[in-house]
Amino acid sequence: MRYLIRRLGFFVLTLWAAMTLNFFIPRMMPGSPEQALRERFSKGGSVVSPEQLRTVLAEFGFDPDKNILLQYVEYLKAMVTGHWGVSVGSSLGVPVTSLIGDALPWTLGLVGISTVLAFVLGTLIGTIAGWRRGGLIDGIVPPVFIVTSALPYFWVALLLISLFAIGNNPLLPNDFNYEQGLTPGFNGEFILSVLKHGILPAGTILITAVGGWILTMRNNMIATLAEDYVRMARAKGIPNRRIMFGYAGRNAFLPNLSGFAMSLGFVISGTILVEYVFNYPGLGYMFYNATVSTDYPLLQALFLLVTLAVLICVLLCDFAVFLLDPRARTKG
Amino acid sequence: MRAIKRVAVTAIAVGLLAAGCGGGDKPIGGASSGTPQASSSGGGQGTYKKGGTVTIANVGGQTWPCQFNPFNPAVNQQALGFVYEPLTFVNVLKSGATTPMLATAFAWSPKKDSIVFTIRSGVKWSDGQPFTADDVVFTFNQMKAQPALDLYSLWTGAGLTSVTGSGDKVTMKFKAAAEPYFFNFANQVGIVPKHVWSTGEAASKPGTWANTKPIGTGPFTVASCSSNNISYVANGSYWQPGKPYVEKVQYPAYLDNNPANLDLASGKAQWGGQYIPNIDKFYKSKSPENNYWFPPTANVAIIPNLDPSHKVTSNLAVRQAIAYALDREQISKIGESGYQPAANQTGVVTPTFDKYFDKDALATAGYDKPNPDKAKQLLQGAGYSASNPLKLNVITVTGYTDWDASLAVVKQQLAKVGIELTVQDLQQQSYNQKLFTGDYDLAYSSLSGGPTPYYELRQLLYSKNSAPIGKQASSNYSRYLKPEVDKLFDQYASADADTQVKLIKQISSYMIKDVPVIPTTESVDWYQYNTKDLQGWPTQDNPYAQPAPYNIPDVGQVLANLYSKSAQK
Repeated sequence: MRYLIRRLGFFVLTLWAAMTLNFFIPRMMPGSPEQALRERFSKGGSVVSPEQLRTVLAEFGFDPDKNILLQYVEYLKAMVTGHWGVSVGSSLGVPVTSLIGDALPWTLGLVGISTVLAFVLGTLIGTIAGWRRGGLIDGIVPPVFIVTSALPYFWVALLLISLFAIGNNPLLPNDFNYEQGLTPGFNGEFILSVLKHGILPAGTILITAVGGWILTMRNNMIATLAEDYVRMARAKGIPNRRIMFGYAGRNAFLPNLSGFAMSLGFVISGTILVEYVFNYPGLGYMFYNATVSTDYPLLQALFLLVTLAVLICVLLCDFAVFLLDPRARTKG
Repeated sequence: MRAIKRVAVTAIAVGLLAAGCGGGDKPIGGASSGTPQASSSGGGQGTYKKGGTVTIANVGGQTWPCQFNPFNPAVNQQALGFVYEPLTFVNVLKSGATTPMLATAFAWSPKKDSIVFTIRSGVKWSDGQPFTADDVVFTFNQMKAQPALDLYSLWTGAGLTSVTGSGDKVTMKFKAAAEPYFFNFANQVGIVPKHVWSTGEAASKPGTWANTKPIGTGPFTVASCSSNNISYVANGSYWQPGKPYVEKVQYPAYLDNNPANLDLASGKAQWGGQYIPNIDKFYKSKSPENNYWFPPTANVAIIPNLDPSHKVTSNLAVRQAIAYALDREQISKIGESGYQPAANQTGVVTPTFDKYFDKDALATAGYDKPNPDKAKQLLQGAGYSASNPLKLNVITVTGYTDWDASLAVVKQQLAKVGIELTVQDLQQQSYNQKLFTGDYDLAYSSLSGGPTPYYELRQLLYSKNSAPIGKQASSNYSRYLKPEVDKLFDQYASADADTQVKLIKQISSYMIKDVPVIPTTESVDWYQYNTKDLQGWPTQDNPYAQPAPYNIPDVGQVLANLYSKSAQK
């Protein structure tokens, strides 16, 4: 039990430290919301004085002259109570919660599902490859995926676009999350459109992510297969399938779990590049955009989400290890 | 009276395709503007059948917030022109030619410190309520009551003192001659309905109100909006009979140039507004119906820091040497692939503002062609030589690949006369910080223009737009402080059209004499358009509005004039 309490305490402390950093780091970056607004606004051909832009921003609740410690206390309070304020960047005046609410499902759907898929597929293939060490699968699959996992995201993305999405009648769409003009809803046309638009970006993530899981799982598997209890199981005549998954697989899987928890956590920040290349309006792009326009409220909320997601996933992973691995329980 | 009005309305309907070409083709300084005469130069004969869709691919770099408050600078590009309309449209590409919109006419007082607008009758808001002079008065007074709405500082900066209405007339009074602000108050302020904006959240928080279902007088209304697309549909009761011809506008939210460029090239989107590298190969060659046109509107320039604390760049001889050393044609050709034409030292953008351009003065000063020998001489005179070379830094924004290419050419050309230029690519925010506060020697920069060269030059050279080093200047980043030039700018406001041309020429003579800014190329409106189904685009022969979709309220002019070929069958 002490193990769990210690993990919880660690969780709270890390969260506070991260939130403090999240507050100060954006404010130490060069630029300010006012300058970003000025830059963007001048593109429309109009000339608005800096003073006027300050008035506008003040209207939306941005006051740069306020005491920084006071701002910090207010920030902590706002983060805890969920009053995340309104954007002062490119989506000036839109509540941060609704911005994130719009983008979150798409990122979770696209990056979340493909990350889980990559993990499940990679672990399965890795298990089989490790089990049949030197076999056909082991001979082909890992080397291929070592190569693909080393390819940069955006390069794979551009390759897929030029293979499937270029020309007057492209096979697959190269941008957006669904056909523009469709109204979101539970109907065949919309769902099909969402799936079609998801194939290329999800494919990019799968291709580049699955290799890592295959490799680590395969190697863990080989190490575990050399353990005495596997030999013991074989001697007892337990069916191969049960040894593969229930004995070796289960234990080989443990080290992968924390890695998976981390990568799940980072789903929130999205694979920025994938969303960027495919014009996929998820959180990853929002992150980039918030940074560019020095959108403090949005940045803070996004940082908080990422921090929370990573920390919670790690915490859950700790609990899972606690359940799966008897050693963790006895040590605590 | 009624009959006359009807004739007038028809004339506009016929003539708007060529808006600004006819009677509207008078400079902004004209004493009044009536209805434009029907003109055939734009091919705008009669009306067209309704139908068709236009899809805009303009990279906004953000998902749509689905707000349409015309006073919110972050979202007004999606509201003005589409839904909200100005009193008068001012065409930048036609020396500020005016086209009547919600006002049928305007008349300045002799001293140009007050203006009377005649408000159009028979216009309806998209919810069916009649539009009146009251709405106009309300809009402007609201900007006084809520300073955050007054984006162009009309009440605080331009000296607006009162806006009153009586019958169909609206009178605006100013403290002093205010003609240069006409562009802002008549052209850039969207008139909002009083009956909507005087109640509820719109009244209590007009600056931050989301306005998700905007009620306007414009050619389109918002049909639906999601974070990745805005759908507009034609306003059935639009005041220009028959218009708009196109029934639907799709405005997807592009986050980055790449997908937008692909969609433009494939014809999935028909109206673009961005820089496409290698455009002939990537866009034009994909279809004979893909076209582009880049009208120049302002300068891209090297901004030297003139503050005495920057000893090298505040030295006139050094600035002159740079200006003489540059081969601007070459910068345009290599750095900008010719998309941006070469600029000139007068600061007057040609051919857009040809009549303000003093070609002789340029030639007399020797700035009409590169003169590296003179540059070398000047540098020698300033004490630089091969053993004591002049080393300079220029800051630019990272990611502006065309600027990088241009600066590479500039660097080469300056090297030939003995100046070692180091290009510093900075993150946008750091760049802005340095530029605004004057923490640089040379900066590569561009500003937006206006209907005459006055607007850009005033930003660049007027001392009130400057600030001491360390404080943020609003646009005169080179910190050029010259009382004589200020005086010329001050005279402009009350001068007649011819005198204004003379004043601009005088101001540009200081550009030549003092070299406060060194223009290299002319920044342009990025504009791609597809004619497979849609016709009625602004073109070089018929520049009835600034053609890039990010220009407001010009976007409304273009949208009201587009028509679908397939719908005419």
